[in-house]
Amino acid sequence: MPDEVILRLENISKSFPGVKALQNISFDLRKGEVHCLCGENGAGKSTLIKILSGAYQPDEGGEIIFEGKKVNLNPRLAISMGIQTIYQEHTVFKHLSITENIFTGLEMGRNGFLQKKEMMKKAADVLKYLKSDLDPSARMGELSSGQQRTVEIAKGLIFQRKVIILDEPTASFSVSEIDNLLEIIKTIKASGIGIIYISHHLEEVFRIADRVTVLRDGQKVSNYDLEDVTTEKLIKDMVGRDPSTFYKREEVALGDVIFEAKNVTGKGAKNVSLKLRKGEILGFAGMAGSGRSELMNLLFGAASIESGEILIKGKVVKQASPGSAINNKMCFITEDRQNTGLFLKQTIAQNTIIANLVNTKEFFMSTSADYRIGDKFIKLLGTKADDSHVRVINLSGGNQQKVVLAKWLNTDGEIFIFDEPTRGIDVGSKQEIYQIMVGLLKQGKAIIMVSSDMPEVIAMSDRVMIMKNGEVVAELSKNEVSEEHILTHSIGGSKI
Amino acid sequence: MTSREEQKKVNKESVFKRFENSTVLSIFIVFIVVIVIIQIIKTGGSQFPTFISPVNLLNIIQQIAVPGMIAVGMTIVMISGGIDLSVGMLASLVAIVTSLGLSKWHLGVVPSVLLGIGVAVVLDTILGFIISRTKVEPFIITLGGMITFQGIALLLCNSREVMMNGELNFFKANLIEGAKDPASGLNLIIPPYVIIFFVVVILGWLLLTFTKYGRRIYAVGSNENAAYLAGVNVRNMKLSAYAINGLLVGIGSVMMLARINVGIITLGQNLEIDTIAMAVIGGTALSGGKGNIWGTFFGVLLLGSIGNAMNMLRMPPEVQFVAKGVIIILAVTLGTVYSNLSSSIMRQNKISLSRREKI
Repeated sequence: MPDEVILRLENISKSFPGVKALQNISFDLRKGEVHCLCGENGAGKSTLIKILSGAYQPDEGGEIIFEGKKVNLNPRLAISMGIQTIYQEHTVFKHLSITENIFTGLEMGRNGFLQKKEMMKKAADVLKYLKSDLDPSARMGELSSGQQRTVEIAKGLIFQRKVIILDEPTASFSVSEIDNLLEIIKTIKASGIGIIYISHHLEEVFRIADRVTVLRDGQKVSNYDLEDVTTEKLIKDMVGRDPSTFYKREEVALGDVIFEAKNVTGKGAKNVSLKLRKGEILGFAGMAGSGRSELMNLLFGAASIESGEILIKGKVVKQASPGSAINNKMCFITEDRQNTGLFLKQTIAQNTIIANLVNTKEFFMSTSADYRIGDKFIKLLGTKADDSHVRVINLSGGNQQKVVLAKWLNTDGEIFIFDEPTRGIDVGSKQEIYQIMVGLLKQGKAIIMVSSDMPEVIAMSDRVMIMKNGEVVAELSKNEVSEEHILTHSIGGSKI
Repeated sequence: MTSREEQKKVNKESVFKRFENSTVLSIFIVFIVVIVIIQIIKTGGSQFPTFISPVNLLNIIQQIAVPGMIAVGMTIVMISGGIDLSVGMLASLVAIVTSLGLSKWHLGVVPSVLLGIGVAVVLDTILGFIISRTKVEPFIITLGGMITFQGIALLLCNSREVMMNGELNFFKANLIEGAKDPASGLNLIIPPYVIIFFVVVILGWLLLTFTKYGRRIYAVGSNENAAYLAGVNVRNMKLSAYAINGLLVGIGSVMMLARINVGIITLGQNLEIDTIAMAVIGGTALSGGKGNIWGTFFGVLLLGSIGNAMNMLRMPPEVQFVAKGVIIILAVTLGTVYSNLSSSIMRQNKISLSRREKI
């Protein structure tokens, strides 16, 4: 009975304030099949999974039908009905054993006592069935991420789940671990479990999928049986926005090379070389987890470089810490502004002056000068706040990002790294941030921009470098840049 | 009202909100007023309330000067995101080392005092080093420090008191000899350690408010990752907070020794609880990044005057604990409730303002 549909979604929509994350998605999963979900960052894959696992409630009007019955899912119900989601981030108990991890919350007991031996035996049986040589009493924390996935799948088998959802399971996997996981998936698929598999790596999709569904901007674009589809076709479906709707950026004449990296290698990035000129935006595209943010940490001195060197204005510099990078006129607008960019409980003034302390010789400082500087940048950037006494926690995302910008503009830096400059920011503020960026270029400053927002990369960059697995796999000039090219390099291309 | 007037009103309220110490100050004032009223009622208005007589106020300040000094150090540590449970036993250790230096090792006054202060700085710096270089909770490390210091102190003095011959008496000499309280005719006393306390408060305030160092300490306590990426040497900032705290514990402990004139292990008992309470009453957050020296100063005054007032009203000491505890809880809860309330008032004012502007 391989064609029996176990799970069906009909017209599922999900909106968040200001965003339509999913629109009228219909989707079905059969017993014993692997159904892959493909799409760019932000296409709606994660939202869809969260609806299936019960973490989000879909908007009115849609239906989820599980084994022929309409259901309203919540996380506990989803699990008890047999839908298990294995998330991208690991949700394991590192200090507990494999067996304890498998049985957490569902311990086998008799008269209030745990049946340790029986649990151990069951775990061992399942691991053997998955052709894994893991010891069920081993500690979870000592396993590789590949082995931890295996344990999570084992859990699914023991409790006889009917649907297993894997979200980006192979991120940070070695090649042999990927092979291993795909073998395991083939094994459990044969036992009749339906599998939803999400991956940025199209080569994996072609190795295990029976069917593929492509999402773009929250809408379902297409659905294929695997034999009817090619890599090119999938990529074409994943892209397809109209470039004429993108932001129109002012051109700025390029100057001398101001920043250069030669064969930089460190945690998360391998052998990256790049040159950046004054007045230029060098875009970094790639899928989440491709090593872009890690590379930026290396360039900024926030992580240590194992080999390679960095040159600023032609001179080799040692970036021992962010402090020395700031001294070298570098600025780093991080991806996660609340956790690494801002002091939320402090005032705008306190946030604005902090990075420039590196360049300040004087030990004594006046508070009124702080507020003056804070107010100056509020005016300059058009931040919506009464004055710089306001605490940053009370600002909206776009205005918070402007405070981050103020902090760096105040250092008088020349080389800016923008990691996801407009994530979580409304459209109006986005445009303002873009204008500020172009303003920087006009002053002869240079920008490296990491972005997962495809229209942003295409509209803003003079050049785009594409990263995959910690390496730069392609460099596209302004004329070559298109969604299709970027996607081809970041997810397709090389075979395992 | 015109919109400009309303704008002014909003600004005024936000200025009031910006005055961070309003909660502790209002509790302090209410407390004083209540005690004074009780005293007036009791005596039928025939006497000047003794609680606020100059002699008693100076008395309170003498009692709080030493814990107050250490509370300043605790405030800096807590703003940096840490905590120091070892201050009490460290103070005892310093007192014992100093008194031994004077009476047993015969080192002389200046070397003994410097030795005591040096011990405090070195030991607290070691704790700071461990805390800043590992990711272990400061709570645990300083708890370990507290027990260790107690052990060292007891070993040094063989679990006995170390008697002194008033070698440190100049610290408690009266600087205003001959001044009398106009109401009661009693002698007024201002010893040098009271002056040192005020100097410490003012220096602490200057350090936190008007220096590069102060700005960085708040940054570290408020968001370590962001501070690191903004070029702050997070580890050394944390280390320095404990070193400063050690220095203040050292000075405070010597002052306390001068007052009591005997080196004894109970000297620093509960000091960590009192100083943390003072800082917290003054609005310092356990989570770091929030607090200021004047808040702590009022916290010191408030906590210090509770015991004194209860004595004046002839309350048994048991009741004092209850009163102290209730006031700590009150101060901290009111601080949170108040700030939530005023921010929601501000928001509503803004909404009504923007609505009116649209019309």
